[in-house]
Amino acid sequence: MSSAEHQGISVDVDHNPYLAEGSGTVDAIVSVTADVPATGAEPERVEAIIIDCSTSMQAPIEKFEAAKRATAAAIMELVDGTYFTIVDGTEKAASVYPKEGLARASTETKAAAMRAVDGLRPHGGTAMGTWLAHVRGIVGQRKGAIVHAILLTDGKDEHETPEELGQEIGLSEGEFTCDCRGVGTAWEVDELRAISTALLGTVDIVADPEDLADDFASMMKVSMGKSIPDLTLRLWTPAGATIEFVKQVAPTVEDLTHRRVEAGNQCGEYPLGSWGSEDRDYHIQVEVEPAAIGREKLAARVSVVAGDEVVGEGLVKAMWTADTGLSAQISRRVAHYTGQAELAQAVQEGLSARKAGDVRTATAKLQRAMELAVESGNDGTAKLLGRVVEVDERTGTIQLRREVAEADEMALDARSTRTARVRKET
Amino acid sequence: MTSPEATCPHCATAVAPGDRFCEDCGGSLSELRKVAIPRPPSTEAPCTDCGNEARFDEYCTVCGHRREQPDRDEASLGAVVLITDRGIEHAGNEDAAAAGMLVGGDAARPDAIAIVVCDGVSSSEEAHKAAVAASNAGVDAMLAAIAATKKSRAAMLAGLDAAAKAAVAAGTGSAAAPSCTYTAVIVLPAAGSAQITVGNVGDSRAYWLPEPPAAAQQLTVDDSLSQELITAGASPDSEAVRRGAHTLTRWLGADSDPEPWSDSSVQTITADGPGTLLLCSDGLWNYLPDAADIARFCNGVEPSAAARALTEYALDAGGQDNITVAILPIGGTP
Repeated sequence: MSSAEHQGISVDVDHNPYLAEGSGTVDAIVSVTADVPATGAEPERVEAIIIDCSTSMQAPIEKFEAAKRATAAAIMELVDGTYFTIVDGTEKAASVYPKEGLARASTETKAAAMRAVDGLRPHGGTAMGTWLAHVRGIVGQRKGAIVHAILLTDGKDEHETPEELGQEIGLSEGEFTCDCRGVGTAWEVDELRAISTALLGTVDIVADPEDLADDFASMMKVSMGKSIPDLTLRLWTPAGATIEFVKQVAPTVEDLTHRRVEAGNQCGEYPLGSWGSEDRDYHIQVEVEPAAIGREKLAARVSVVAGDEVVGEGLVKAMWTADTGLSAQISRRVAHYTGQAELAQAVQEGLSARKAGDVRTATAKLQRAMELAVESGNDGTAKLLGRVVEVDERTGTIQLRREVAEADEMALDARSTRTARVRKET
Repeated sequence: MTSPEATCPHCATAVAPGDRFCEDCGGSLSELRKVAIPRPPSTEAPCTDCGNEARFDEYCTVCGHRREQPDRDEASLGAVVLITDRGIEHAGNEDAAAAGMLVGGDAARPDAIAIVVCDGVSSSEEAHKAAVAASNAGVDAMLAAIAATKKSRAAMLAGLDAAAKAAVAAGTGSAAAPSCTYTAVIVLPAAGSAQITVGNVGDSRAYWLPEPPAAAQQLTVDDSLSQELITAGASPDSEAVRRGAHTLTRWLGADSDPEPWSDSSVQTITADGPGTLLLCSDGLWNYLPDAADIARFCNGVEPSAAARALTEYALDAGGQDNITVAILPIGGTP
């Protein structure tokens, strides 16, 4: 397809197509690679930066000063012509710059925005749902643009109910993507993860306020590299098939199963958000009705869609064989990513048990997590786990550390979904 | 029938009825007819599994089943009968056969007949594509060369060359390049006899099976490890020969020499008929290694009945490989 080449999107399917008689479980790793040309028409971009201006941000005051510097650093990265807004977030939300609607990035507007940010003072509570609603109201003006937000907080969502926040998250889905950052350790990983997951962004802890500026600049740089507003994964499956799950498995684990939107003709669509030059892997598991030995059927057809146009496609085939040597093989990448998803879950369940005081469950889960991280070469997670548990060099068993820095525990939690890559099978 | 106003298709000179070649330019006035199996399953027909009519690629858009290749395909062209069967053990048919003829004034007596049987090598993916491409290209090239020059040996070599290139080109790039065997004949019929030119790469075979008492003979020499051992003096019953039975030493397509044949791969005999010219893949001769045993199925039997009986025999014996048989009766009454 010439348009696919033009868009630079490729779709690769990696799986073992052979199934034993009577078996119908098909696992496939689908890799989507976008190679976006550096030159070309610049897409329309909208950026929103939400700064938590709750009173706690001034304790200590260095934290708020760092947040202002970080916001300025992000503004510096805006490509000229980008529409943007800076939002003051408390128990309500207000536009800091421009006072209404969106400004267009230029030397003058960026300088004016930085002056406005410099004048901010902490003055209230925290209700992140109202922040999202405020951004949604402004960015809705520019349909079809790449819309991205950065949300910074230092605390819990206190001045609205979890239901209110959940509702606002739901309303914002598909409207903009959102990267969330928690500064310090008084915020909730699960709360920010709920936002970042739904809004197809990232979540992380910035324990030391001094590191905020670099982090904001790099987030904005990545966002400026996005040039495809929205990709959709369209999945066709045969009659009688059940989609067990659709998960992004690299660079992070994100379960997309429940994000399916029915698209007719045995197809469902899953939003993939905005893309720059990057590659992401998806693990799809489909249960199909088994066919006779020697038969072949299509277990899934995976299309990547931009707008109304199919820009890439991959076929997941299933062949039934009596040769158990063929059917018993598990694709190396399917095995690897199955392990990575289990690792993320083991970390989260282990930390949650630890918080609840259930030492036995916590130890068992984190033991399993450590084994998986080491085996699969996920050095990042293994290193973070090492700050929460102690490994007995002799027996290989682990013990929860007595003293764990809260920032270390939160970093492990926030980064638990990051996966190690494995090379494509050739 | 050539009408009185008929003209040469090459130079438009008027030609007389019954002429096989143009008096002016020497070009062949014959018509080319061809048939090839297995034919792809109909794209028109509804899904045999769920009845749905729409498809993408080869798959049903409702149940996802790949459209079913029929287990057997049969075709005939004049007196030539072709049959190919998936067998029992293999999931797909990787054999292919093609036949073509140049027909001049008399359809019952073609000027030349070309037949090819190819067996896709199972260790290569998409082997069936190599077999289909090589058998078709071989027949086309042989008949084109015969029409131009009437020289059988040169035509056989032209067919081998075209088939080798077609087998290499049959790969789609993503999978390992496919390969196949190639057994071809060119028959130039004459009154009561025929000149038969045989070409072979790999271990499909051609046999000349005259009516008794003349002895049945295998016309091709297998390009296999076991044949090399036998040629070197090993006993046909030895363990080494048995193990090397299906290890090919030459083939067309992937990882092959560009011209994997030698002078001895092509030879010409004169069949004083009547009798049967038979080509087959190893799916048949594995179960009937002796030419005389194959002859018993053919002597005095109508060709399509003989081809089916041979195929059934191989199926009953286990059908471990795809089975392909091509039969052409020579001399005698058809």
